[in-house]
Amino acid sequence: MRHAFIGALVALVAVLVVSSAAVAQTAQSQAKQARSPWVYYPLDTVAGDGGPAPKRDLSGTWAGPGSTDAIPRGAAADKPSLTPLGQRVMSERKPIGRFGPAGTNDPTARYCDPLGFPLNFIYQNRAMSVAAMPNRVVFLLQFGGFWREVWTDGRPLPTKVGGDDRDSLDPTYMGYSVGRWEDDYNFVIDTTGLDERTWLLRDGTPHSVMAHVQERFTRVDHNTMKVSMTIDDPKMFAKPFSLGTYFYRWIPNQKINEWLCVPSETLKYLQEQGDPAGSYPNAQPQRLGGGGR
Amino acid sequence: MNTKVPALVALIAGLGMGSPLFAHHGDAAYSATPQVMKDCVVTEFSWMNPHSLIKFDFKTEDGKVQHWTMEIGSPPSMALLGWGRTTLKAGDVITAYVYQAKSGVMVGRTNKVILADGTVLADRDDSTPSR
Repeated sequence: MRHAFIGALVALVAVLVVSSAAVAQTAQSQAKQARSPWVYYPLDTVAGDGGPAPKRDLSGTWAGPGSTDAIPRGAAADKPSLTPLGQRVMSERKPIGRFGPAGTNDPTARYCDPLGFPLNFIYQNRAMSVAAMPNRVVFLLQFGGFWREVWTDGRPLPTKVGGDDRDSLDPTYMGYSVGRWEDDYNFVIDTTGLDERTWLLRDGTPHSVMAHVQERFTRVDHNTMKVSMTIDDPKMFAKPFSLGTYFYRWIPNQKINEWLCVPSETLKYLQEQGDPAGSYPNAQPQRLGGGGR
Repeated sequence: MNTKVPALVALIAGLGMGSPLFAHHGDAAYSATPQVMKDCVVTEFSWMNPHSLIKFDFKTEDGKVQHWTMEIGSPPSMALLGWGRTTLKAGDVITAYVYQAKSGVMVGRTNKVILADGTVLADRDDSTPSR
């Protein structure tokens, strides 16, 4: 009798285990069926500590310092010492942070002009992919949908960009970049030839075409990358200074959502919202929103 | 362990979407206190960069209809807060919490929107990046 009872109990437990497993499998399969491979599901991206940094490798999909408070903020750019020319150009700039969309002359805010380098690695550095090719490293930026090539074949930086000589290269929004591995974990990039229409910093700080920007990408560990930037531009600044330090975190299966500046949409925004709201450059800054709390 | 889950979700969500902490522009052009308008009828919802726009009609106590436009953040940022391209459509009835422009025109920054089913959608909260 006792054996019969134990046998029945074992059978019951077995049925329960099997049925609960079946229920779990059904739930899992339903969850899988409901998902689209084209949609990014944040919960899928738990990556743990990631382990040690791979050697000489920045490849991956990275989330930038604006993405969340969880990413260290690093350090902002130092305040530059402007030359008289730098002061004159700066005095003509009306940054959006103070003048708002209606009063700014920021070419990105008003016309969707590209932020250009290095501002697109200082401001709005959201998601970014890095891919290594045999002779270059390519950066793919979420904000604006831009890419940037850094040559690693040993060529030197150009010495003539934007000049009147026939052999002078054209200035570009991303500049001309060369990179080298200083050691197994530090990739150093030098850039020059930057289009002078772009602003160096959001406050309107200018730069010249032959400014020299140096970046140091440090692969701290598998999931962490630190970027430190400096600029030397004697035409605009009395001395070189730091453009800040920025941290990125590697997200293995991050889907980089499209984030373009569409001129027709920007025009609609300005005409229907930004311009009617007006410009109050002397008002106290404030941050609104937060109605969910 | 459970207490860590919300923080983890917030972290991962922020990482995945790549949304910035920095506002596209300052808010100095808007009043600091939101006004509440009930029974607003949505006339247009533009899910776009740099900021999405909600247009709606609001009937005042004396029966006049005001045509309002208010902005929220960009689509990738707003998706973190539960918004989507199909969140609103013309004809929907909402309650709007709006910081009106100091210029006096009927445009504003959004504090929050309450949908007809009671869903509350914010323009920003402190755990998730704004714009």
